[in-house]
Amino acid sequence: MATTIEVRDLRKRYGRTLAVDRLSFTVGAGRVTGFVGPNGAGKSTTMRMILGLDAPDGGAALVGGRRYAALRTPLCEVGALLDAGAIHPSRRARDHLLWMAHSNGIPRRRVDTVLAMVGLESAARRRGGGFSLGMRQRLGIAAALLGDPPVLMFDEPVNGLDPEGIHWMRGLLRRLADEGRVVFVSSHLMSELEGSADHLIVIGRGRLIADTSVAQLLAAASLDLVVLRTVQRSEAMTALASHGATVAAIDRETVTVRGLPADRIAALLTERALPFTELAPHRASLEEAYMDLTRDAVEFSAPDTPDASPVATEA
Amino acid sequence: MSQPTGRSGVEQTNRSTADQTDRDAADQTDRDAADRTDRGTESGYRDAQPSYRTTVRNPRDGFGHLLRAEWTKLRSVRSSVRCLLATILLTVLVTPLISASSSTNANEAPHFTDQFTFVHQPMAGDGTVVARVSSQLNSQEWARAGLMIKQNTTAGSPYAAIMVTPRHGVRLQANFDTDIPGPDLGAPRWLRLTRSGAVITGSESTDGTTWHAVGTVRVGALAPTAEIGMFVASPPVLRVTKTSGGSSTSLVLSLGAATFDHVTIQPNAPQQFPGWSELMLNGGAGTKGGPPANVPTDGDGPFTAGDGPFTVHGAGDVAGYGIPSFPVGDDDIVVNSLSGVQLGLLAVIALGVLFAAGEYKTGMIRTTFAATPRRRRVLGAKAIVVGVAVFVAGLVASLTAFYIAQPVLRRNGYQPPAYPHPTLADGTVLRAVVGTALFLAVLAVFSLSVGVILKRSARAIALVVGLVLVPQIVASLVPSLGVANWINRLTPTAGLAIQHTRPRFDYAIAPWGGFAVLCGYAAVALVVAIWLVRRRDA
Repeated sequence: MATTIEVRDLRKRYGRTLAVDRLSFTVGAGRVTGFVGPNGAGKSTTMRMILGLDAPDGGAALVGGRRYAALRTPLCEVGALLDAGAIHPSRRARDHLLWMAHSNGIPRRRVDTVLAMVGLESAARRRGGGFSLGMRQRLGIAAALLGDPPVLMFDEPVNGLDPEGIHWMRGLLRRLADEGRVVFVSSHLMSELEGSADHLIVIGRGRLIADTSVAQLLAAASLDLVVLRTVQRSEAMTALASHGATVAAIDRETVTVRGLPADRIAALLTERALPFTELAPHRASLEEAYMDLTRDAVEFSAPDTPDASPVATEA
Repeated sequence: MSQPTGRSGVEQTNRSTADQTDRDAADQTDRDAADRTDRGTESGYRDAQPSYRTTVRNPRDGFGHLLRAEWTKLRSVRSSVRCLLATILLTVLVTPLISASSSTNANEAPHFTDQFTFVHQPMAGDGTVVARVSSQLNSQEWARAGLMIKQNTTAGSPYAAIMVTPRHGVRLQANFDTDIPGPDLGAPRWLRLTRSGAVITGSESTDGTTWHAVGTVRVGALAPTAEIGMFVASPPVLRVTKTSGGSSTSLVLSLGAATFDHVTIQPNAPQQFPGWSELMLNGGAGTKGGPPANVPTDGDGPFTAGDGPFTVHGAGDVAGYGIPSFPVGDDDIVVNSLSGVQLGLLAVIALGVLFAAGEYKTGMIRTTFAATPRRRRVLGAKAIVVGVAVFVAGLVASLTAFYIAQPVLRRNGYQPPAYPHPTLADGTVLRAVVGTALFLAVLAVFSLSVGVILKRSARAIALVVGLVLVPQIVASLVPSLGVANWINRLTPTAGLAIQHTRPRFDYAIAPWGGFAVLCGYAAVALVVAIWLVRRRDA
């Protein structure tokens, strides 16, 4: 049986809000799959339904082809980090993992193993209430890894991690995927997934917007744009336009060129002895591509408010 | 159904993740987007990658594992452990105070009552007296009518008597402390009393020909010439008046009456009998006001000669400690010594509620149900763990309280004979002590269930404490014993009836019956909790 998370026609309604609306996708093993969407898009709800915590109003969520509720020792099949804050403040980290281990008949030594994996050995006897958000995330990840499951789900795992922690997390996700596991990671910020996700499932308002590899998404968003910086702007624009390129001026020294590859542009400019200080194919960031995709799906967008994340104006 | 089994192969195919942490983390994140795009593309991943299998060997989902998990949860949180300790401490610490607040002078009163109507004459030496009690008025369950041999007519002197009672059959009693029950039959009935030295034998018969011995008693100090004859007594009836905030009890006179016929005296040595004379004895506990005024005198001077019929009226009792009708100390001292549990139960309620609602508050309930999707089992394990933990703590508390209270109670007058020392060898005392722990355990399960139902600890604690305390307060305030009893029967604290070791006028429900009421509450709440938990989103 293939190791997958499979969501079919999933629906969930809370009162009058349709949180998840006929959502279908499959998450495969061996790669990191990002689960992206704005806040309130239905990511956490979907994950809760996969874990059998919330009952769907329609459709089904299957793990390895089975409903979660049918799993007998689920911790050894699916590891999940939903809410790092969901620990009793006065329980020691080690005891938190220990009760979970007992519940699935997992040997006690696994507790120490996963504590070491997330770098919490020294905090094992400390109480969860004294943990920083980053430590709680690590404890939550230790809990997810406890049963060494083939399927892992992390809801916003880098929240609260410091740069070193984010770096560590990316390495961990990568490694878990390389071992052949399903690694399903949600985030409301695409930038958090940049550098770690191979595949993306993008949702907005509970609906599927895109189910695509990161490479395809970037290619689609980059649109063969080349950025050229030169002091002889108008000469360069004329020369390139005469060879069929679409040229647009950005500022006094910068133009964007579409329709000619970068090496061809370089040759043309050199022929005409036009100096240029920069010539680079524009690579759209994941963030840009994502913003394109979700522009219509953002539920609580504030009009006319500059977005905090860096979005290239020319894109 | 069971988990991956590949033993040796699994270990090899999966690299140990721990070893790799540092090495991998260093170079992984430096890869740029171009590297990544080459790797995870399209659909090649599925067949290329072998499915990962867990390296955990032999995971189990047995109920025992679940119990262990829930016990780990309970013991690893300080507030739970404190609640268990508080249960013990609160119960034990208030025990000396409660015990010291009650005292008795029951033992200062005479240890017997000797109040009855005696139609008698002296008999020298051994002999037999026979009579038939043809009818007896049911004036009180312990009303007595029968034959007696008594040292003399002084109140408190030694005696032996065979009698019928309206509700307790034939009895042979002696010396205010001996009670031998005969067949459970009343009037009309033939009775016979035979003296042979100090040994008195009582017999009964349906027809006056076939006799059955009820028993034999020894009346050591019996004079050669003792008084023999018919006697009638009827103990007063306890009347309880419930007032707002309390209740008062009073004793109301009851008047007994019986008719005797076929009365014969057969002395072993021939002698002259002076004829019957009637006397109202009046001595012992509860007889300070003199003989009851309205007992009619049944004959002027000697009764008519012959064998009857004679109708005799009488009031009072011939009894002492050891004879059931004698009012022993009214206080249930076992209940007194265990009543500290009424404070300790507050900690139990808090524990039960928090063990459930705490998980909802932190969101850990999701981790719990993700680890064990079979939610009914989770609740079952929780109930068993909290129940057993509270039972053990409760048993420590009730045993300690019981032993702490005894010397205090003794100092305050709770001594034999009015108050025999309670021991755990006595079944009812053992039931009270162990039952107190059972009460707390079931209360914990009830609290747990309410915690699951309401999810909020403050509301759940308020509700359970309200259910336990408010009815008790209301019951003590309502001026009607009937209403108060129904309140005490229908609320969870009915379970405290399991502490009762003797009947009392204000006990509303039988020990196990009251416990069953509490169990009913817990069972209903648990079923509702299970139903809700399976139905609603975690």
